[in-house]
Amino acid sequence: MGTLESLLLGFSVALQPDVLWYAFLGCLVGTIVGVLPGIGPLSGISILLPATFGLDTTKSVVMLAGIYYGSQYGGSTTSILMRIPGEASSVMTCIDGYAMAQKGRAGAALCIAAVGSWIAGTFGVLVLTLIAPPLASFALRFGPPEYTALLVLGLVFLAYMSSTSLPRTLLMASLGLLLGTIGIDNMTGHFRYSFDIAELGDGIGIVPVAVGLFGLGEILSTPSANVVGKVIAPKLRELLPSREEWRQSAMPMARGSILGFLIGLTPGSAHIISSFLSYAVERRVAKHPEEFGKGAVAGVAGPESANNAASTGAFVPMLALGLPTGPITAVLMAALMIHGVSPGPTLVNEHPDVFWGFVASMYVGNLMLLALNLPLVGLFVNVLRIPYAYLYPLVIMFCIIGVYEVSHSIVDVWIMLIMGVVGYGLRKFGLDPAPLVLGLVISPTFEMSLRQSLIMSNGNWTIFFQRPIALALIAVCILLLALAAQSLIRRRKDWRSKLAEAEAGESG
Amino acid sequence: MTLRTDHIVGGAFVAFGLVVLAFSGDLPTGSLSFPGAGMWPKLVTAALILFGLMLVARAGESAPVASLTWTDLPHALRVVVITAAAIALYQTLGFMITMALMLFTLIFGTERRHPLPAAAFSVGVVALTWLLFSVLLKTPLEHGTLGLLGF
Repeated sequence: MGTLESLLLGFSVALQPDVLWYAFLGCLVGTIVGVLPGIGPLSGISILLPATFGLDTTKSVVMLAGIYYGSQYGGSTTSILMRIPGEASSVMTCIDGYAMAQKGRAGAALCIAAVGSWIAGTFGVLVLTLIAPPLASFALRFGPPEYTALLVLGLVFLAYMSSTSLPRTLLMASLGLLLGTIGIDNMTGHFRYSFDIAELGDGIGIVPVAVGLFGLGEILSTPSANVVGKVIAPKLRELLPSREEWRQSAMPMARGSILGFLIGLTPGSAHIISSFLSYAVERRVAKHPEEFGKGAVAGVAGPESANNAASTGAFVPMLALGLPTGPITAVLMAALMIHGVSPGPTLVNEHPDVFWGFVASMYVGNLMLLALNLPLVGLFVNVLRIPYAYLYPLVIMFCIIGVYEVSHSIVDVWIMLIMGVVGYGLRKFGLDPAPLVLGLVISPTFEMSLRQSLIMSNGNWTIFFQRPIALALIAVCILLLALAAQSLIRRRKDWRSKLAEAEAGESG
Repeated sequence: MTLRTDHIVGGAFVAFGLVVLAFSGDLPTGSLSFPGAGMWPKLVTAALILFGLMLVARAGESAPVASLTWTDLPHALRVVVITAAAIALYQTLGFMITMALMLFTLIFGTERRHPLPAAAFSVGVVALTWLLFSVLLKTPLEHGTLGLLGF
């Protein structure tokens, strides 16, 4: 079956009324999650995960993915109207978006952000449609050594791309890998670090760790007294940008879409990195860079397009290779696995309705978000009027329900609380919790593929250098490590350290 | 010498790694041709210790510990204690009572908001959530062993 026929099959699934309804629900919740500061897409997806247990696989994943890309749309609203990023990826939009709002162009900034997000999201899905199936076919050639090399490359790439230091990122990833070893060893049946707690026999789940680190951890780090802000409410008739504003935003949207999608393919917080890089690129290529920070249209159009394209790009490795590039795709993978569907190279052939239904739903979802975000912006602004003192207890309640309902285990809820405290500590000391979650997710696959590789080579570790694909992946790892070591030894500021400085400066 | 944040972080992870290694004694490492259950955890723990040591070695680039602000700690501690109490009571009292109490304690006790709106918000939100999950989403929430307000 060709791509077009497959996509038509996808649309026949995605356009069913009940699938459309769940796509709409996901987009709506995602927009609200994005609008509210302190609640990220990860918490939103994790909290709503139990609510999808009664649904079939396609509806579940369509709704959860809608929350993910919907939150990227919604994140811009608070950035533009309050100068508070609803999402980490909207930090850059705060600068010029809020400056535009102060000049009376809030509506135009919101419209440019929404249209840019729609163009980038649709572009991302289009490229995903074209490259995911051939990539999945190629990945069928992967055996345990190739998967081991790919996972090593993923971790090295994550560390290289990280805006914090390389040892810090790898330290967090190692902690995640270690947490992933808790429970019964699948190959020998040994209990590892479970301390006679029966619930730990199955290992530590992704949901309690992710909700604890990102949901509760964020709340603990945000005292309610610090959340104040004045909301600028735009009128509906002010939403249309001028012809000049459209002209100024066209190229930044195009550049942001391409840059965002490419960065989305790589491990790490791609949607955050992409918006920072897009802002830097736009400032570099601008004819009037002095306008940046004072309401430059390109400073809104570029980053908003980039973070949406990145969130779509992140689905490519998840769907085609079965590898998560970040904690959000990891939780989406967990959702698929709960429904008995394993993402990876076989997904396209074994569950074409799920794969193509999901892809087609993203075309529809992006259109829905455009329709939701522009006329209903006044409604979403009202959500921001709920005092934080009332809002965060509500989020804690949903965190508890979300974690408990996954497996009705109170131990999981305790793990969430412990992880919340850990998340608070990590933030205090400037450590990024995202690599920890990624390490936790890939740990079982990593261990299994490494042990299988060693067994099939009879203990000969050079197996990773004897197979062409594995060798190529290891060579890229060595290249990246050499580049990282070079800047480490020379203590020279490369683009990553400049990015870290910009990130610290803008979010601080 | 100024104590810096990476001294604390690196040192804590090295100590944690050593404790994990001490607990890993009975896990068989196996051989390269047949790795045992202990090989991967020990390998990862070694990496954890190594990166912890690297942080300590490069700690000079991090901020002094004295520059950390802890003004948010009392609020965080109160939230943790109240959430822990709610988790401890969740399976006994069930969703409705535990969550209403938790919301009220957080809003009235921690945030010092007026008790009447706090109580109305707590009860209203819990009832709506129960309806949403149990009726619309067909995912019954915890009734509690005492069966109070279990519906």
